[in-house]
Order: sequence, then structure tokens, then C-alpha cells
Amino acid sequence: MSKGDLPKLLSALKEFGEVHGPVRYGKFHSFRRVDSADEMDLSYTRTMIPPKKYFVRPREEILRVNLRRGYELLREEPRNIVLFGLHACDINAIKVLDSIYMDEHPDPYYASRRERTLIVGISCLPDDECFCRSMGTDYAYDGFDLFLHDIGESYILRVASERGESLLEGADFLKKPEREDFMRLAEFERRRASMFKKELISSHLPDVADSLHDSDAWNEYVSRCLACGSCNLVCPTCRCYDVFERVDLSLENGVRERRWDSCFLRSHALVAGGLNFRPTRFDRFVHRYNCKSGINVETGLPYCVGCGRCTVFCPAGIDHVEVLNSVWGVVR
Amino acid sequence: MELQEEQFVPKPAEILDIREMTSIERLFSLRFLDEEYERSFRYMPGQFVQLSVYGVGETTISICRSQTRPGPLELLVRRVGRVTNALHRLRRGDVVGLRGPFGNWFPVEEMEGSDVLLIAGGLGMAPLRGVLQYVLDRRERYGDVNLLYGVKSYEETLFREEVLEPFERDSGFRSFISFEKDDPFYEELMRRNPERVRKGVVTVLFELADRYLDPKNTYAVVCGPPVMYRFVLRELDRRGFSPRKVYVTLERRMRCGVGKCGHCIIGGATSITYVCKDGPVFSYFDVLSIRGAI
Repeated sequence: MSKGDLPKLLSALKEFGEVHGPVRYGKFHSFRRVDSADEMDLSYTRTMIPPKKYFVRPREEILRVNLRRGYELLREEPRNIVLFGLHACDINAIKVLDSIYMDEHPDPYYASRRERTLIVGISCLPDDECFCRSMGTDYAYDGFDLFLHDIGESYILRVASERGESLLEGADFLKKPEREDFMRLAEFERRRASMFKKELISSHLPDVADSLHDSDAWNEYVSRCLACGSCNLVCPTCRCYDVFERVDLSLENGVRERRWDSCFLRSHALVAGGLNFRPTRFDRFVHRYNCKSGINVETGLPYCVGCGRCTVFCPAGIDHVEVLNSVWGVVR
Repeated sequence: MELQEEQFVPKPAEILDIREMTSIERLFSLRFLDEEYERSFRYMPGQFVQLSVYGVGETTISICRSQTRPGPLELLVRRVGRVTNALHRLRRGDVVGLRGPFGNWFPVEEMEGSDVLLIAGGLGMAPLRGVLQYVLDRRERYGDVNLLYGVKSYEETLFREEVLEPFERDSGFRSFISFEKDDPFYEELMRRNPERVRKGVVTVLFELADRYLDPKNTYAVVCGPPVMYRFVLRELDRRGFSPRKVYVTLERRMRCGVGKCGHCIIGGATSITYVCKDGPVFSYFDVLSIRGAI
């Protein structure tokens, strides 16, 4: 399809639900509701907060409690959403979240939002901090409904679900791609592949992270780390949450809410009686890197998708790739 | 959707009875208000529930009873945090919320035909009591049953009648007790039963129990404070217990109970494990390959 037909595609997608896409907001980008194509900046590199915010909210009420009657599930008005313009790394990250939140014990809040979300991917070009290629997450094989491959003046539209296909029924702006289009696609992918500057030696990452967890190489970074948890909040696969309960002033009704949590906070591994399984910043630092260096067994995908957010938004300037390469012995 | 909700919404349960166990621990008997749910509620020794005090919050408590024994669900709760303090303020007839049961359990069926060695330290007796009851209720299916229980003092001993019963009469198992503080009761018990009682930490009991232990044909189950595991596992190792026949149950912070909230994650990159759904019961063999488990 021609890039000029983007508004037509959006109106077809609006048949499904509200469209949310990458919008420039101050210095950074953010997924927000959009009404027209020109509100979006489709050449963005990464948003600060990943799309996980649509499925597990930064802070949300999950149960209502009445001090006499007990708990009930808080239901929200079902709402269809089109997430437009996700990059391959974020699509792969959602696949990891799906495997956790929709496993044998599906999370009712996540599952219902996920089912009501249509995902439209878009191809991207890396900046200096992207290392999805090292992680093998620079391409999305599935986990989306539609994907737009940029080939210059137009897109090649990849359809990956019946839901996506049915929305495009009768779309007269779509043309069958021609041989030249595929050659442009190949050219784009070649150019993209050559643009990655960062490389994480990821071939034996789980073993390396595990076996070198006592290494002194961590110390340099641990001493700089502010343990603020920013990296957790901006990470598209970090899914830890904490749970709180609040009662209103009448002491009759309350809510149970959950919030994104961070394994950098002291409370993360604290148990009753004050015992802490990860008492030091070193423990917590290495824990996060270990967690991110694992492979999700259900999807076969790494827990880190190489989006670079944790590096870009780290107030102490700690570089995820540099830390692991350094512990591996590649850097220094 | 119904099934998912059941795991996330605490079910109301009435406190039938509260028994004072120690100055900080009480035994709560509970029954679900929904009779059908109460009838269908099944659990195994080693599993846990998420217990909610309305308006205060939720906490993880292991089930300390075997379902082979008729009667209500029992939870032994130490008053140690916000929720457990609130729970201790409740009275008989009050209603709390329960979710569960969660987690795996001690392999009581696989253990049939073998001797059973229970090793508990302090509050660790709570989850092991379910195993003990289960085994005693199917006594003919198991060999020798030995309990090594390390406590601080008589006052802090949990389920006193049950663990001390073998000193009075044949109870189907042998009980060994170690105590740490000066304690007239245990000093007297030790004077009368020097072969079963000793002062010190729980590992001092191995010497007393050794002549009854057959490491080749024994399943050992261990629960206690984190510091205890390393020492107990070393003793078991030294005696040639197979790592596949030694089981521990672990404690971690948990919010969800079903592998979502991430607090109970243990292990490194090669072995990311959720204590709530992959455990809380692990074999020593598992523990050896999950970094940070012990």
C-alpha cells in the first residue's frame, strides 16, 4: 500500500477500536490515543514506557473489598484497542508477557485486555542503543495482526491473523506487491542489519550471567547504580508487581490495587520477620541482569529484547550491553 | 473466565477456632462459607494458601494439616507482619479471604514403601505437620518414621502434644528434639530420654538418630529457617541420602501465588524458577541446580 493511504488504513482499523500509536511528547515518544495518521511519528525509535502499560497498568485497582462482605473482581468496561506502530522488539516482548500472564493461570485483567488489542507492527531502523539483533528479536514472526514493512514510498503489509485480514476486507487501497517491492524490502533489511552499532555477545548469555554472578566485574557498575528501578519501569518484559490494599475513611469499603514493582527495591525479596533474600544492591543488580539474561522457556525468546530503554533512561548512565560484555570479559 | 477469577478473588472463610500455640503463634481453623466450595476444596501436604484480612492485605501461609484427617483447614500463623498482626486481632466467627491451594506438595505417594525422615526447625514444623499426619494416617504404607525437631524452648514448641506424644506412648513415629535455651522442661525430658533429646541446634540430633536411619531407603523432608537448610543438607549429604529423595520447602515473598508478580523468582539466567508455582517444594537435586534457592 502507498504511504499516502495510511489514513485509509487507520479508518479501517478504527472499525475495530480506538487507535493508539507513537506520539512525540516532549523529548520522548509515548503510545497515546490518536485520531489521525499525522498525529503519529512513525519514524520513532523507542517510546519511554513500553506497550506493556496497556495490559498491566502502572497502577490499577484489581479488587473491591467490603469489610463485611469481602472481595469482588473489579470489572472494567471492555474496550477494543489498536496498538499501531509497534516495533519487532516490543512485539516479542509482549509475547514474553503473554507467556507469563496467559499461561495455565491466566490473569483475568491482562487476558481480557490482550484479547481486545489488535497489534499493528511497523519496521524500524536502529539507533546507537538498539541491540535487538544480538538478541534475535529484531524480527517478529508472530504475535501481531498486521505488520507494515517500510519500502520507501509504500509499505508491504504482512497479515498474520484472521482478525487482521477481516478488517482489510474490501480495502481498495491495497495492491499486490510486485517483484521490485520485494527487492526494496530486501534492500531495506540489508541496510537495517548493517546499522546496528551495539553488539551483546548473547550466544551463551544465560550460562555466562549465571556462572559469573560472583565476578568482580559487576562492582564497577553496582557502585554507580542508584537502585532507582527506572530500568524495570521502562523494560518491556519486566512484569513484577506489588499489591496494596486501601480502605476509605468510612472503614467500610476499600480496594486492592497493584503497581509495577522493581527488583531494585529493598522490599522486593523481603519476607516476614525482616529476612531479605537479596539484601544488598549487588545482589539485586546481579539478580536483574540474571533475570534479563534468561530465556523464556515457553516462547524460546530471551527476557531481554534489546530495545535499549534501560540504557537510554538510566540516570546513572549504565549501559546494559556494556555491563554484560564487561562481565563476559569482552570489554575492558 | 470463572476459573481465572477463582484464583484471583479471595473466597470468604469463617474462623471456626483459634488455638494459642505460643506467645506469637496461633492455629486458625477455617471453613469456607460456600459449602460446595468447602466440600470440593482439596489440598496436599506442603501446599499453601493466600490469606486475606479484609481491608488489610494478603499473605502467604502454608497449610499445616493433612486432608486425610477429617476436620477443617488449619493454618498456623506467626504474628510478624501487618497482615498477620491484623489476623491475630480477629476472633472466632470473623471472616477472612482465602485463595488457593497453590504450589506443589511433598511427594507423599512416591514416598510409599520407604522410611520417612522429617527435619523441622521452629516454624518449619507447620508444613511438615501435614506430611506427618498424612504418613501416620496411612501408616502401613511407610517404613520407619523419624522426626528431628529443633526448637528454642518448650514455650516455643509448636504442636507440643503431637511432637511429644512418642515420649509417652507408641505414636507410630520416633521423635527427636533439640532445644537451644535453658529450659527446665526439656532438661528434664533429656534426663529421662538422653537418646532422643539434646541441647543444641537441630543437626545435633543426627548423632542420636543415626542408628535408626537407613539413607538408602529414606525420603527426607526438611523445613526450617533459611540458615538451617545448608547445615541439614550437608548432614544428609554426608550420610549418603540421594539428592532426589531429599525435599525442602522454601519461603519467599509472594503476591499472586501463580507465577505473575515475580517476587518469588529464584535461580539465575539458566534456571529461572517461581517458588509459588514450581515449588514451594523442591528436591535437593533441584536446589543444587537453582542458584540462590538455599
